[in-house]
Amino acid sequence: MDVVHWLLLALFAPLPILLLRSGSAAAVRYARWVAIGLASVVVLAPFVWLLAAVFKDRSVFNEYVFFPPLAQWSSKTMNLGNFVELLRGKPSVDGPVYFWQYVLNSTVYATVSTVAQLGVSSLGGYALAKYEFRGKAALMAFMLGSMMIPSVLLLAPLYKLVVDARMVDTLPGIIIPWIATAYGVFLFRQACVSVPNEMLDAGRIDGCSELGIYYRLVMPLVRPMAAAFCLIAFLQHWNSFFAPNVFLHSQRNFTLPIVLTMYVNDYHDTNYGVYLTGTALAMIPPAVLFLALQREFISGLTSGAVKG
Amino acid sequence: MIEKFPYGRAPFWLLIVAAVSSIVRPIVARSGSSRPDLLYVTFSHLHQETYEKVVGEFERRHDIHVQFQYSDWHVLQSRLENAMLAGADVPDMVEVFEGSLGFFTRGPAADIGLLDLTDKIRSTGLDRRLVQSRFASWSTGGRVYAFPHDVHPTMLAYRRDLVERLGIDVKSLDTWDKFVEAGRRITRDENGDGIIDHYMLDLPGDGQWGLETLMLQRGSQLFDAQGRVAFDTDVTAATIRWYIEQTRGPAKIAYDAGMDQPLLKVMTDGLVLFYITPDWRSGFFEHELPGLKGKMALMPLPAWEPGGRRTSVWGGTGLVISRRTKHPDLAWDLAQFLYYNPKEGGERFVGTKIVPVDRDEWGLPELDAPDPYYSNQPIGRLYADLAPRTPPHYVTALTVVAQRKLNEAYSRSLQHYERFGEEGLDRAIREELARAAEYVRIREERNEALAQVQ
Amino acid sequence: MQPASSSAQVPESLHPSGSSAAGPQGAAGRTKARAAMPPVDRGWAPYLFLAPYVVLTAAFFLMPFFNAIALAFYETNGPRTRVFVGLANFRFLFADPMFYRALENTTIFALASVFLQLPLSLGLAVLLNSSETRFKSFFRLILFSPNLVGQIFVGILFSVLFTPRYGLINRSLQGLFHWGLEERWLTNPALVMPALVLTSLWVWVGFNMVYFLAALQSVDKTLEEAARIDGAGAWSVFWHVTLPSMRHVVVFVVITCIIGSYQLFELPLALLNTTDGFGPDNSGLTLITYLYEMAFRSGDLGLGAAIGWVVTLIIFTISMVQIRASRILED
Repeated sequence: MDVVHWLLLALFAPLPILLLRSGSAAAVRYARWVAIGLASVVVLAPFVWLLAAVFKDRSVFNEYVFFPPLAQWSSKTMNLGNFVELLRGKPSVDGPVYFWQYVLNSTVYATVSTVAQLGVSSLGGYALAKYEFRGKAALMAFMLGSMMIPSVLLLAPLYKLVVDARMVDTLPGIIIPWIATAYGVFLFRQACVSVPNEMLDAGRIDGCSELGIYYRLVMPLVRPMAAAFCLIAFLQHWNSFFAPNVFLHSQRNFTLPIVLTMYVNDYHDTNYGVYLTGTALAMIPPAVLFLALQREFISGLTSGAVKG
Repeated sequence: MIEKFPYGRAPFWLLIVAAVSSIVRPIVARSGSSRPDLLYVTFSHLHQETYEKVVGEFERRHDIHVQFQYSDWHVLQSRLENAMLAGADVPDMVEVFEGSLGFFTRGPAADIGLLDLTDKIRSTGLDRRLVQSRFASWSTGGRVYAFPHDVHPTMLAYRRDLVERLGIDVKSLDTWDKFVEAGRRITRDENGDGIIDHYMLDLPGDGQWGLETLMLQRGSQLFDAQGRVAFDTDVTAATIRWYIEQTRGPAKIAYDAGMDQPLLKVMTDGLVLFYITPDWRSGFFEHELPGLKGKMALMPLPAWEPGGRRTSVWGGTGLVISRRTKHPDLAWDLAQFLYYNPKEGGERFVGTKIVPVDRDEWGLPELDAPDPYYSNQPIGRLYADLAPRTPPHYVTALTVVAQRKLNEAYSRSLQHYERFGEEGLDRAIREELARAAEYVRIREERNEALAQVQ
Repeated sequence: MQPASSSAQVPESLHPSGSSAAGPQGAAGRTKARAAMPPVDRGWAPYLFLAPYVVLTAAFFLMPFFNAIALAFYETNGPRTRVFVGLANFRFLFADPMFYRALENTTIFALASVFLQLPLSLGLAVLLNSSETRFKSFFRLILFSPNLVGQIFVGILFSVLFTPRYGLINRSLQGLFHWGLEERWLTNPALVMPALVLTSLWVWVGFNMVYFLAALQSVDKTLEEAARIDGAGAWSVFWHVTLPSMRHVVVFVVITCIIGSYQLFELPLALLNTTDGFGPDNSGLTLITYLYEMAFRSGDLGLGAAIGWVVTLIIFTISMVQIRASRILED
């Protein structure tokens, strides 16, 4: 029996007490909080470890699981060395490349991809939801099939294509080929289907063009889906590693995940501390976005599938 | 206005950020420099930084522009392959990892996208200057396609202070049998807490580099000089058996210290005494664990039989030149400049402890300098003395496949051992090896059938 | 009444790996379609709206796609060598024990995802649903947070956490249960799949919990009230009223989970990076890492394409099953 065991005992002991004293409702409520609390601890533990690793000096990386005991805190065990290393310019043929440049690259990549995907997907989804036209069924079947293909398979021929188009090692080269996404189109289709047709007809009677209907009438109604889509698309691109890794060659074009992974993939000099520090910093934009969009994200996710 | 944006607030702000960042980026980001005369890609930061420091002289002398790029190894392999497939955007010179040459030289000779260096190597006498056995890793079908960067002789690094304290005389450990015997004496739980306090040797638990390095020392190969599967032998089986006994047996002496941080911790704690250490790893230890200065030392590998080979080889880098390069002669010269240059060799040794593969450089004074980290041993001389005896490592297109299959055979043998102990172990090992070798042979036959159709 | 069969498979996949999914339109969609019939042909409008998608797809998907699928019937060796071999690649595949191992591993992983991950997600969603709003958002963020980072990062992170003797997980186990300090999660064939499953739990329990939370919030409270007034216990209410009202989301999440499992790639690759995603004795091999190995590491694009066919067919089959399942659930 040590500290941990006493803690666990303290955690679970109130249960029988509550049960006897205040009845099952209170006990259940307490048990619920304990369960949620434990789940949160399990989920957060690696992040706490991550936080500790960010500030721990390399020499004590494996010495302490989390933070060193307070008695051992000193500039030798805890320092900002990882940040210094991260922000140091990495030499390249084009001159030193700094951390903010990778952030900029990732930002351009993620935001432009997301916005472009939003436009293309919402347009296409609306068309599929509210129009009948020849070839519609075939198109949808095709789109469904396209989502079942493992994307790794297409890597080699796509590389050749991008090289031929002279887009290799450029940001447009990793943005443009992936703008068209079938699941984005389907998402917006799902969201647009529940827009009442009467509204569309009213718009037409008022002399609104088809595009105008899409832009002024329909899109405002599917804002939750747009928000949800933006969050997911941004997350996906911000953290995307595989394809950019293959298509980008110059240091100055690298995105964050590529650069950070280099710290642990190097054959001579792996530095997990810097890798974890960079990743911790890279978590901030997605976290901010999620916090801002939580509610819309949830309602957007299930619009259509849940209602009705 | 924000409220009126049809898509919503978040898309609005994303759009703003996208627009702003797209405009800002071309302004602040450096544009790529003009197309270099020679594009050189490596998978090692260390190499890239070193080369960038020294290449200025070469550029001035030949009035050309050389550009170095770094690429993660797996991606580099993929990129080179894709580039050769696409027939475009192939870098002029690429450093490739030990064991991978076969991947790029598979298929008919006419299709190989790399420059055949054999004739020029012979005519300039390079084949006599470099350690012979290294060409095995960088040749296919008798033709050399890459410059060997290194020779990587392998010794054992050990915690001299602990070894002396425990009363081990390393000079007497000239065979593995004696080594194991000494190991058994000290691999035990000293303080009664149920956890073993000292292990003799660091070996990866799933075979991997440990198994292959020991096999190479013993003369057992994945492929023979003709490129045929060759690991289906008694020697390999015996090595696997030995390996299982040392890592899992009741009298085990080995521990899996892992790599990177866990390894460094194990070394600092002194949990394991001996570590298989090629020259590059000795530099790695010096760099990563300054706290062990003076406490480490090196000894040659114990031999498998008295008088046997006391070194092995682990890892390596080669330099290939693309057949499409516009400046093959300049590329050749750059290779000589970066690889077989006494000045570079001396500096490289000082920085990384990697000994030159070029015999002409073995006279460098840096190699004889006593190294205070390793108890003032002249480690350069120690490694250079072992260099001529490094075993060859034959490489084919299926090297990676064979490595995986060997590890699979090892793993399954280990599982047999854990379930049934020593009973039927030898037979099980032979069966697993046969199965693994058969798989590689089938893949070989597929490739051959292809080549014949051409 | 017009069954909108062609639009039955409307995916709502928001799986972070970007994998495909087929979502249940089921009764929801059909009801809507009945209530709001699409208007007649509007001429150029739909074609114009779909043009960006179609053009980009044609340029960057179709060409590589045809290239790739055709390759399944060829053997390749080197940049230019290509020989038509008919079904030889598929014959090799179906005789390769590694293929079956990959299939087995992936299926086990899919089953573990459905029967471990989803009940946990559902349970957490239920727990979180009945608490105050302020804390709910807070915990939602916490439990969702593993999805804010990429799969590669999770793989690398956990490969460090699973380190024997010094890693967080072994040390925690030792501290709590006095067991497991030296367990070799990533080099012991028996423990590799559990390690992979545990890692995936950490990531995706929170993700699916969000789905279930939203679904729970949309359940008609009056139905639940009615059941409770009729004297049903809490569990009974849940099982007979709440869950059936959520069935669309449940089926959708199950299918997304399974399909995502069959496309699992980056996570095992990063977690088992010392063995390139294989694990000892192929214990961590998944269908897509197997594909990657065949196509890119041993350079046989034809074999890789053949595997791609097989994986696509598996996913297609699952999607078909899902249509049946959601149709059955309607009745």
